[in-house]
Amino acid sequence: MNICSLIVYTKPDHGPQVTKRLEQYQGVEVHGGMIEDKLIVTVEDEGESMSPVSDTMNELRNVDGVVSTTLIYHYGGEESMEEMNREIN
Amino acid sequence: MKLTRRDFIKSNAVAAAASVAGVTLPVSSTVAADADDGIRWDKAACRYCGTGCSVLMGVKDGKVVASQGDPDAPVNKGLNCIKGYFLPKILYGEDRLTKPLLRKTNGKYDKNGKFEAVSWEEAFQTMAEKWIAARKAKGPKGVGMFGSGQWTVWEGYAAQKLLKAGFRSNSLEPNARHCMASAVGAFMRAFGIDEPMGCYDDLEHADVFVLWGANMAEMHPILWSRLTDTRLTKPGCEVHVLSTFEHRCYELADNGMIFEPQTDLAILNYIANYIIQNKAYNKEFIDKHVNFTKTPTDIGYGLRATDPREKAAKNRNKGKLSKISFEEYAKSVEPYTLEYTSKLSKVPKDQLLKLAKAYADPNKKVASYWTMGFNQHTRGVWVNGLCYNVHLLMGKIAEPGNSPFSLTGQPSACGTAREVGTFTHRLPADLVTKKDAHCKFAEKTWKLPAGTIPRANGKTDGADQTDISGKPMGKTLIHAVAMHRALNDGKMNTFWVMCNNNMQAAANMNDESYPGWRNPDNFITVSDPYPTVSAQAADLILPTAMWIEKEGAYGNAERRTQFWRQQVAAPGEAKSDVWQVMEFAKYVKVKDVWPEDLIAKMPEYADKTLFDVLYANGQVDKFPVEQVTDSRGNKYENDESKDFGFYVQKGLFEEYRLFNSAEGIPKKGHEMADFDAYHKVRGLRWPVIDGKETLWRFREGYDPHVAKGEGVKFYGKPDGRANIITAPYEPAAEPPDKEYDLWLCTGRVLEHWHSGSMTRRVPELYRAVPDAVVYMHPKDAKKRRLRNGANAKLTTRRGEIVCKVDTKGRNKCPEGLVFVPWFDAGRLVNKLTLDQTDPLSKETDYKKCGVKITRA
Amino acid sequence: MSDSKDKNELNRRQFLGNMLKTACGVGLVGLGLGAYSKRASTMPANYIRPPGALPEEDFLGACIRCGLCVRDCPYDILFLGEVGDEVATGTPYFIARTGPCEMCEEIPCVVACPTNALDHDLKDIEESRMGLAVLIDQETCIAFHGLRCEVCFNVCPIRNRAITLDMQHNPRSGKHALFIPVVHSDACTGCGLCERACILEEAAIKVFPMHLAKGQLGSHYRLGWKEKEKAGEALVTPDTEHRYNLPDGVRYDLQGEGLIIDGEAEETPFSSNPLDTLNSGFMDK
Repeated sequence: MNICSLIVYTKPDHGPQVTKRLEQYQGVEVHGGMIEDKLIVTVEDEGESMSPVSDTMNELRNVDGVVSTTLIYHYGGEESMEEMNREIN
Repeated sequence: MKLTRRDFIKSNAVAAAASVAGVTLPVSSTVAADADDGIRWDKAACRYCGTGCSVLMGVKDGKVVASQGDPDAPVNKGLNCIKGYFLPKILYGEDRLTKPLLRKTNGKYDKNGKFEAVSWEEAFQTMAEKWIAARKAKGPKGVGMFGSGQWTVWEGYAAQKLLKAGFRSNSLEPNARHCMASAVGAFMRAFGIDEPMGCYDDLEHADVFVLWGANMAEMHPILWSRLTDTRLTKPGCEVHVLSTFEHRCYELADNGMIFEPQTDLAILNYIANYIIQNKAYNKEFIDKHVNFTKTPTDIGYGLRATDPREKAAKNRNKGKLSKISFEEYAKSVEPYTLEYTSKLSKVPKDQLLKLAKAYADPNKKVASYWTMGFNQHTRGVWVNGLCYNVHLLMGKIAEPGNSPFSLTGQPSACGTAREVGTFTHRLPADLVTKKDAHCKFAEKTWKLPAGTIPRANGKTDGADQTDISGKPMGKTLIHAVAMHRALNDGKMNTFWVMCNNNMQAAANMNDESYPGWRNPDNFITVSDPYPTVSAQAADLILPTAMWIEKEGAYGNAERRTQFWRQQVAAPGEAKSDVWQVMEFAKYVKVKDVWPEDLIAKMPEYADKTLFDVLYANGQVDKFPVEQVTDSRGNKYENDESKDFGFYVQKGLFEEYRLFNSAEGIPKKGHEMADFDAYHKVRGLRWPVIDGKETLWRFREGYDPHVAKGEGVKFYGKPDGRANIITAPYEPAAEPPDKEYDLWLCTGRVLEHWHSGSMTRRVPELYRAVPDAVVYMHPKDAKKRRLRNGANAKLTTRRGEIVCKVDTKGRNKCPEGLVFVPWFDAGRLVNKLTLDQTDPLSKETDYKKCGVKITRA
Repeated sequence: MSDSKDKNELNRRQFLGNMLKTACGVGLVGLGLGAYSKRASTMPANYIRPPGALPEEDFLGACIRCGLCVRDCPYDILFLGEVGDEVATGTPYFIARTGPCEMCEEIPCVVACPTNALDHDLKDIEESRMGLAVLIDQETCIAFHGLRCEVCFNVCPIRNRAITLDMQHNPRSGKHALFIPVVHSDACTGCGLCERACILEEAAIKVFPMHLAKGQLGSHYRLGWKEKEKAGEALVTPDTEHRYNLPDGVRYDLQGEGLIIDGEAEETPFSSNPLDTLNSGFMDK
C-alpha cells in the first residue's frame, strides 16, 4: 500500500483541464489548487491490481498541460487492505 | 464522520502538499489532518545564529522525536542548515548536567576542591554569601555577571533588574560585547537608535551585494541561500566579496577581493572619495538628511593602560564627534586615491574601481552586509560608520534593496542583549545609565526609589550616590574585557557566567581569563547545560534548562521577535536561566546591598528580599498561572510559572513593554506587540504599531514614525539627520613582525556553532568536522617544512597550541595570514589571541595578531 | 567492534610472521591463497582498494599478501581479507564510511608495497583512483531539498574539483537557492572522506569501485561540442556566412538567439544615443 501526495504545476490557467486528465488515472485524486495552477494530488495503489505509484507518477509528468511534479509525502506500509480501511474514530 | 486509517494518511499527505504549495484547500480535504498521530508539533526559533529561522518540533511522550523547518516561516520557508537539521540532538547529549556542583574538600567549599553535587539551596546560599561580601567590600564593580545574546528576552530582562536595581551594580555584560558592540556604537553615533533600518527582504530587492568581512555562506546559511537565489535569478545582479582570506562566499563572487588586514578602513574611504570626485553623491539627500562630523584619531587599542601602545595614543578612548563641512569631509578622504588604496590594501585597482562604481551608480540598489570582520576590529565603530558614510552619500539607505545591514551572530543579540540592554551602560529600549533621567524613568517603572540604579558617573541630581559601604558610588561602568582584568587584579570577586562559554571565547586566556577565574579571592559561577571549558574553570556549576525546555523569545537581526512555548522538561534538577536569576534573588536581602539612605526612601522594603522588590512587585507577578495551550488545544507545561506561582514570562515581558511601548516613554521607535500576540505569529518586526510590522525604518510610508511629507527622517537624532563621520586608516595593534611573522585570524565554521558546546555533542556534526585546523597557504606551509595534515605549533606572545595544517580546505588564506576556527575545546585558540578592543565599543578584535608557526 | 579489530591485528601479525619466517614463503603464501581467492574475486561494493592498486585482476596477481601497506598506513584504515571474507584473503582494503583514506601526500602504503601491486608510479595522491564517489540518493540528500549542508563538499580534499556545488533556484520556496553537490570523475580519487562525513544515518554519497560507479558511453559515440572544443575548430568545413530573407527590423543570429526582432524589448521609444533622436526629426506623424 503506497500513498503519495504531489504538487503538480500546470501551465497557466490549465488547472481545470489538467485535473480532468489526471482523474482518468486509477488511484489518482485531485484535491484542489486549480486556481493557483498548483494541483494538490494524491496517488495510491492497492497492490497487484493496480500499477505501482511510481509508474503512475511518471505518467503524470507526461500529461498534457503539466509543467512539473514534486513529490511531497510518501507513505509506504505493509498493512493489509482491511487494516487500512478499518475506522479509527 | 467516518475515518479510516487510509483516509487519515491521505489527508496528511494532502495537507503536506497543500502547505508546501501555499494552496488553501476546502475544509473537507484537510479536516482529518487534525487527528492525533501521537506527535505534537509546535514552533520555535532556531537555537543558533541571528538569522532567526523558525523550526517545528515534534514531541511525543515528553521527548523531541521529530523536527522540520517551518514551511510557513518567511525567513526560511521550511529550510534549515546542517546545524538546524540536528536541533533535537543538542538537548540529548549524554553528558547533560543535572545537579548543581560545588568545589569542595571535606564537605566544605574549597576553591581547589573537587566538584560535588549539592542542593540548589546550598548552591545559592554559598553564592549569596560570596556576592554580598564582595559587593560590600569592593563596591559596585566587586560583583559581575556575564550573560548572553542567547538568553531569552525575559532572562536578560530579569538579570538586568537583578544586577542594576537589585545589587545596584552596572557590572552586567552580555557576550554580545564580543560580537555586536561595534555595530551598536556605530548605529548610535550615526542614527541615534540601534539596529538595522532594513530587513531580509533586501535580499530580494538589491541589485548589488557587498560582503564586508562576513562569511554568510557558512555563518548565515539560509540568508546566503536567499542571496544566491537572487544572484541566479535577477539579471544584472552582482556579488562583491571582501575579506582577508578566501572563503566559501567567493564561490559566488563576481568580484572577490582579498585585502590586507585593517585596510578596509582605507577601501571605504576610497569609495567615498571616488563618489565625491565623480560628483556622484546625492546632493539633495545630503542637504536634507545628513550632518558631517569627525571623530578623534589615534585612540589606542583598548589594552591595559600600562601597555606602551596605550601610553603612546594621543586621544586614548576618545570618541566625541565635532561638526565639519562637506568640503572638510571631502578633503579628509582625498588622500585615499585608487593608487594609494590599492597599494595599501593589495587589492588590484580594477577590482576596487568596480566596487566603487557599483556604489556610485545611482541606478543600482546596493545592500552591504557585515558581521565579525567589521565588528571585531580595533576600529570597529569607525569602519561600521565608514560604510554608512558611503550609503548616506548616495542616499542609498532605508528603502527596499538599498541597505547597509549588520548581521548578528547570536539568536537574540538584538532581542535580548541590545533591546533589553544587558550591557553595563544600557537599560531597556536604548536608555542609558549615563543619563540621570533615563535611570529615573527605569526606577519609576520598576517601583523603586529614585537613585537605586547606579549612574555611570555615580551621581544623581548632581550629588554622589551612596554605596552600601557608605562611600560614594564612584564610576560604575565596566565592560566585558575589563571584567576579566578586574578578576585578574582581584578588584572583582564574584562572577556569574550564564548561557555562554567565556573561558573559551574571551581573548588572551593565558594572561587574563584563566588567572582571573582561578584567582583564590574570586568565586566563579557558571550556568550551563554541558561541562564546558568555562564550567571546568568555575567554582560552582549550575545545571541549565536550555532552549525549548522553557518558554522563550528571541529577537533576530531583522528586528523580528519570535516566541515559543516550553516543549519538554529539562533533565534532572536543571533549571532555566530565568528561574536561576529569580530564585537567587530570594537569597539576598535589600539591606544586604542597599545603603540606609536609599532604604529610607521606601522603608517598607527594608526586610524584603531582592525577589520581593524586583519580581513580586505587583507587575511581574500580575498574571496568574494559566494552562498554556495553542489554537489546537494542545497543552504545554511552564516549569517557572509552576515554581513561582505566576506567569513569569508574561509578567516580565509586559513590564519590559513599559519601556518600549507605553505612553510617555523617553525613546520612541522600539514598540512591540503584547505578549499573547507573539505566540500566535511567526515573529513580528518592530516597531509594531497598531499591530502592524515595520519593514524599512526612517522612510515615509514604511515607517509610521515618519510623518507624511517628511520623506526620510532619522528620528533617533534630535534634528532628524544622520551623521557622516570621517575617520582615517590607522594600523592594527599587533601586525606581524620578524618573529611572529603571520597574521592570525579566528572565526567559525558552518557545522559548529560558536564554542561547539552544543554541536560537538551531535555525533554527525562532530564526525563532519571533528577538530579545528590551521588553514594556511601551501607556500607558507612549505617554508616551515609543513604539509597538509601535519601537526603545527602556533605560538604568539601569549601562548601556544598545536593543530593540523590544512592547505587545501574550504578557506584559502593568502600568504602571510592563517585562519583557525575557535569551536574546538581541544584547541583553545584564545590562548593565542590578544585582548585588544575597539576603544569606543570595547569589542574584542579576534581577527588580527602576530603568530609564529613551526613543526610540532 | 573491538573484537573484530583484535582479530584483524592478529591476522595482520600472522601474515607478517609468515613473511619473516620463510624467505621464499612469499610465493608459497601467494600460491596457496590464490586458489582460494578465485572463489572470492567479487568484492563487496563498499570494499575499496588502497591508492595505486592495479586493476583488480592484475592486483590479485601482483599482491603477495604481505600486509606491509597495512602496517605502514599511519591512520590504520586498512584491513586484510580474512579466510571466509568476500575479499581475497590477505589482500588490503578499506571501508570508507568508517575509515576513509586520508590522502597522505607521501603515500606510505604505496611506498611499502614490495611488488608494485600498489603502483609505484603513483607519486601524487591526487592522481589516485581508488574508486568514485557517487551521490546515490537524491531523495534523502538534504541538499536536494534546499537545506544548507554541503558537508561532502566541505570535507573533500580535492577542493572544488572532485565535488562542486551546482547552484540552482529553489522553485518551492521561491526565494532560496539549492546547492547541489556534483561529483566529477576526472578529479575524484575515491578516498571516501565524503562518505564518512555524510550526516545522514545511511550515507547518501558513497564510494564504489570504479567499475560499479561509472557508466560507459557507446564506444562509437562522441559528444560533438567536446570534440569541437578539443580540435579548436569545426571538424568539417566551417559554414559560410548565411543570409536570409527578412522584413525590416528583423535579424537572424545563426549561432545565438535565432530570430531577433529589433525594438521589441526596448523600454522607451528613444535610442540610447541622443544623436539618433536629434537627427531623426519629429516623431509625431
